[in-house]
Parts: sequence; structure tokens; C-alpha cells
Amino acid sequence: MHGKHHIVVESENLKYEFEIRRNITVIQGDSASGKTTLIELLQLHSRQGHRSGVRVESDVPCTVYTGDAQQWLNFLQVINNSIIFIDEDYSFVFTREFASLVKQSGNYYVIITRRPLKNLPYSIQEIYGIRTSGKYHFPEQVYHEFYPVFSDKNLRKIPEKAILLLEDQAAGYQFYRSICKKTECVSAEGNSNVFHKLLEIKDDQQIIVIADGAAFGAYINAVVRAAESRENIALYFPESFEWLILKSGILNNASIEEILQHPENYIESSEYLSWEQYFTELLEANTRDNPYMQYQKGRLPDYYTNPKNVQKILGVIPEELQQIIK
Amino acid sequence: MLKIFFGDMEAANYGPSWFKYNYHPEWLKEPFVQQMIEDVDHSRYVDGLVIDSPVLGPIPPERLSGGLKTLIMIYERPDLIFDATSCGDNCAKWLLEIGKQKDVLVNLNYLMTFKAYEPFQIYIENEGKMVSDYSSFLFIAAKYL
Repeated sequence: MHGKHHIVVESENLKYEFEIRRNITVIQGDSASGKTTLIELLQLHSRQGHRSGVRVESDVPCTVYTGDAQQWLNFLQVINNSIIFIDEDYSFVFTREFASLVKQSGNYYVIITRRPLKNLPYSIQEIYGIRTSGKYHFPEQVYHEFYPVFSDKNLRKIPEKAILLLEDQAAGYQFYRSICKKTECVSAEGNSNVFHKLLEIKDDQQIIVIADGAAFGAYINAVVRAAESRENIALYFPESFEWLILKSGILNNASIEEILQHPENYIESSEYLSWEQYFTELLEANTRDNPYMQYQKGRLPDYYTNPKNVQKILGVIPEELQQIIK
Repeated sequence: MLKIFFGDMEAANYGPSWFKYNYHPEWLKEPFVQQMIEDVDHSRYVDGLVIDSPVLGPIPPERLSGGLKTLIMIYERPDLIFDATSCGDNCAKWLLEIGKQKDVLVNLNYLMTFKAYEPFQIYIENEGKMVSDYSSFLFIAAKYL
């Protein structure tokens, strides 16, 4: 499945309206925000259709998994081209078997969980809370909408002299390391280690975390908590380093610009587990025929660190961060 | 005392389903439970088994939020262990309040924020340590979550 799907779920007293645009969406947030009620409404509609008194507007089927905790695979593997909602009381969503199913699935999954899904590379931008808007008094209809829980940056307290903490030693790390004059670059050696690395940093050291937002969903809560608990941590989560290159215009390709405007229209969930994978493949495919530009995630070609291209890539990142890196 | 165990815990129960089929009507008459109903669910206990929700109208206890049901179970059944992962950040202060009144052990599988309530008293069961600030809490939680 691909594309953005606009969903409306409503009764006379309640209305939910939201959009789903990637294979994995996570709903979390405060208690009593209406997560379980949304699932109940969808479940009623799924069982009884329009006779339920619940109206669901969607261009693809919306299904709720309500079955036995042992039977989920039998049920989910036969569904295709649907949005599947799973409430928080199913622990199978944390298993590798579930991650394998999602990897090759033609479905989108909406999962209610506060516990991170460490086997799945989901985006920080697809983690939502639910909020009600306006004043509400039963039985007037109460409007619920999704809001993103995390932002792609928190650079308000960006320090002048700082350490740059990157997820790994791949191309992104190599890029920053080659251009940073005043700033030290450190690798966390894996996205799961970023949080642990942050806690080792001394209070008087200033640190900026840069990680691939498209696949950092399982770790964002911990990293944001660490940043909230200390004043010396700033955060930046672009989709991925490959996205920065594609966005910079280095490739001078109009079709790529079009793709980046609405990636969801081009990314098939059964082929790509995360948008990060898609952007990497897109960059590789578009540089394959040029030996100077040929992109490799493990080793960044010099082409991307020549002054002209560095300027273009830096042009995509927030200005506050540019000042630190130069 | 509020005691927290981070990570998988076989003995931890799921609060919302426990509440649904095991609650006692008299629990709702307790002032402390009514305060939690007002603060977490923005609802008001009326009488008998009726709660007035501004969103859902008059509701039975079964329709309280999952987080609140879990809080009530933790408060009323301190002899059992519940998974407080069902509780959102807006339940943090109530977990601490319950801990001031009773000895309770809860399981937690995400980083709930207690920052606003420093200094607090939380005993981390995994390490047998007491913590009073959120940085120390995070430092230990990082090993297990």
C-alpha cells in the first residue's frame, strides 16, 4: 500500500479525523485522550457496518485486530491493502515475527503503545497523540484530532561549542566529520546507543544529537526525556542523511524534487520497511552511473564533501545548526 | 513507597482488564479515587456506578480510561503488581501519591516523566536503589528499557 489516507470516524457524539501516510503509525500520549474509544468505534463499525451508528470514511478498509493473542499471524497475513489498528494490550507487536510480517506487508499499521517497538524502524514524525479541540459538553459532538508528539528539531538552546553525536559511522558521520572545524564528531555506534551515550556526557559539555528521524521512532522518547532533564542537549532529526542530499538539489533532478514533496505516493509498504531505506535506494539509483557521485552508505565519496556540495547540503539543515558546524 | 520494576515482568497484570471484571463499587466512593477520576479523566463521580464524563456523558466505571483503571487497581490492590505502561504521563503524580500512602510495586516499560515532581521517592526494584531526581531515574532506566 502507498499514499496518504484521510480517515474520519464519527458518531453523533464523537468525531475523529486524521491522516495515515506511512506503514507504521504509533499512537501514545496521556491517559484519557480517547485512544481506546477510537479503537472501540472502529471495531463496532468493522463488525456491524453502517448499522453500528458509527460512520467510517476511508478510501481503504480499516480493520481492528481483536482476536486471540496467539492467532494474530493467521489473521493478519491474509489481509491486504488495509489499515490495521492494534490496541495496547497485544504484546505480539514487540516480537521479531511481527516485524517480519510488517516488512513484507501491503498494509499500514496503527499501533497504540507507549512501549517502544524496537524491532521496527518507524518515524518520529508518525508518533501521535490525540487531542480534543474546542469546548465540549456532552451530547454535542466532540472533535478529536491527531497531533505529532515529537518535533524534528529542538535547537532552542543550541550551544556555540558542542559535540556532534551521530548514530553510527556511516556516510552522515563521515560528512559531518569532514566539514566540522570547531566541533568534535562522536558516533554512538547504533541508534539504540544514543540515549546511553547522552547519559555519559558531562554536565558542562554541550551536545547536539543528529539522527535519522525516519527510523528513530523507538528511541525518540528516551532521547527527548534525556534532553528535557538537562540543559546541554540539542536535537535534530532530518528524515535521513540521504534525504538531506536528495533535498539539497545536488542531483539537479526535477523528478526527485517531485518525489520529496509527497514521498508517500511513491513508497510501497511491501517493498520498504522505512522511508530511510527508500531514500537510500533512490540516491543510490540516481548516482549509480556516475563513478564520482556513486553513493555508498558505508563510504561517502569525496564528491559530497567538496565545498560547493557541502554548501548545498548545509543549506537544508536549520540555520542555528549551520553556524555550529561551519 | 512507590517501587518500579523496569522491563518484562511475568507477574505484572494488565490493569484495564483487571478493573473491568474485578472492581468493587465502594472504591468509587473513596475521596482519593474521586480525585484521580477528576484529574486524569476530567470526569466527576455522581453516585452508585455513574460517572459524568464531559466527552462521553454519563458512563459506567468500565468506560473510564485505561490509565485511570490501572491507577485504581494499583491503589486498591497493592498486593498485586500492575503494568503502569497503561498509564500516561498525566498519571505520574498519582503514582507518587499512591506511593506516599501505600507500598506498591509496579512494572514500567516506557520512560514516564517524573521531572515535574522532583524531589520524589522512587525505589528501583531492579537495582535495589532509591532515587529522588529524574536524571538518576533515567540513568537506571536506560539499562533496562
